[in-house]
Amino acid sequence: MVFDLKAATRTPPRVVRIRVRRYNPETGSSWWQEYEVETYRGMTVLDALLKIKAERDHSLVFRYSCRMGVCGSCGLVVNKRPRLACQTQIAEVASEGRPVVELEPLYNFTVLRDLATDFTEFFRKHRFVKPYILRRDVREREEPTLEYSQTPDELAEYYEYSLCISCGLCDAACPVYASDPNFLGPQALAQAYRYIADTRDELWEERLRLLDVEGSIFKCHFAATCSAVCPKMVDPAGAIQRLRSTLLKYKVRVYRKTRVAKVVPPMEKREPQKPLPPEATLVEGVDLKLLEEEKPVIPVEKLLTS
Amino acid sequence: MERGRFRFLENRLGIIASLYPWVIDIRGNPERIAFTLHRITGIILVGFVALHIISTNTPARAGWEAWVEEVQRLSGVNPVSLLFFIAMGALVFHSLNGIRLLLVELLALGIGRPEKPKPPYIPPSLKGYQRTLIYIVSILSLIIWALMGYVIFLM
Ligand code: SF4
Ligand code: FES
Repeated sequence: MVFDLKAATRTPPRVVRIRVRRYNPETGSSWWQEYEVETYRGMTVLDALLKIKAERDHSLVFRYSCRMGVCGSCGLVVNKRPRLACQTQIAEVASEGRPVVELEPLYNFTVLRDLATDFTEFFRKHRFVKPYILRRDVREREEPTLEYSQTPDELAEYYEYSLCISCGLCDAACPVYASDPNFLGPQALAQAYRYIADTRDELWEERLRLLDVEGSIFKCHFAATCSAVCPKMVDPAGAIQRLRSTLLKYKVRVYRKTRVAKVVPPMEKREPQKPLPPEATLVEGVDLKLLEEEKPVIPVEKLLTS
Repeated sequence: MERGRFRFLENRLGIIASLYPWVIDIRGNPERIAFTLHRITGIILVGFVALHIISTNTPARAGWEAWVEEVQRLSGVNPVSLLFFIAMGALVFHSLNGIRLLLVELLALGIGRPEKPKPPYIPPSLKGYQRTLIYIVSILSLIIWALMGYVIFLM
């Protein structure tokens, strides 16, 4: 997501017009409705919606939960860009010259009512890629007594993709998903790659075979809008390219997952570390002997007053 | 979608999303424009290849004189050469961008390394050198296209 880092320092226009694309499933009618909302500094789109709901129109439907960009339920299209309502400030999307905020339900989803969309299909696709760690030894997975060892480098390989909050903004932005309902979508594919890149997962071969189907990775054509709108910087586009290249390499038999995490006993039960030899210097550049001779004086009073 | 007496709205953008990038706000995302151009030039090329096959079997159909006449129509300014010029532009962009896409999609090159989010929060695949390649591809294809225009229309 291209964040406007300065947005929080700006004051939004005093009054903004919030235009909401509404939908009524009983009559099947859809219309634009306009509300004028007085703003304050730091007001988010979600705050504006809540204010409308409290003071103006209690029939307005939208979904939210955490109000702090963590749960991923408040995805909307704000001025034609999929965004999280709670993470978007009014000052970011409206200006004195154009004090209008247009809200639409997420594209490419089924609208239940007003701004609330149906995520059944989205989570079905997410489940399809098996978003959990799989080991050959099922006992070890279900009743773990040991831990998986993983280095920070191995963590960095997939950490970014594990930040996904399943908000669906990437699917709303994807041009392929827009015309093909059977496409798995950037979110599910990024999660598929996240588990293939995770060294703790053992069944990478099964995962790759699962994805070698119609409507999966080969439908992606790198428009990269998913990465551009993702509020958590998950980079689904990058994940899909890596996944595709991995699958192709696997198909021509030049890919093997070489690093699979071993199980190790928990840290506290390991052998106690050997004491360091006396000549070892703990901190580089610090003369330990000198430090022992004259203890440094820490000016506590000075620290407290300043 | 219908459930009981409720009718739910399918909010799909449909094919328009692949042919017109500005249905959504694509600031900071020239890849989307490259994607759209790749689609459109691909469609043009399908038409071109079909016509090209018909036109290159002219000698068999109508003899060599007809062929020479047809080839002559490809230079100078007339509707046929104009269409040919458009098809050549599509060909140049599609092939150059195709090389970029092969690097990205087949070998996963040019999309950076996975990294931890940090300001200004631009995902690595949008910072990698594939982004530079978009600009190189566009400028290069414009230059080659202009040269082709010179050859077709003025020489
Ligand atoms: S990848 Fe990003 S945009 Fe897509 S669902 Fe996850 S957090 Fe949302
Ligand atoms: S309300 Fe939870 S992400 Fe916006």
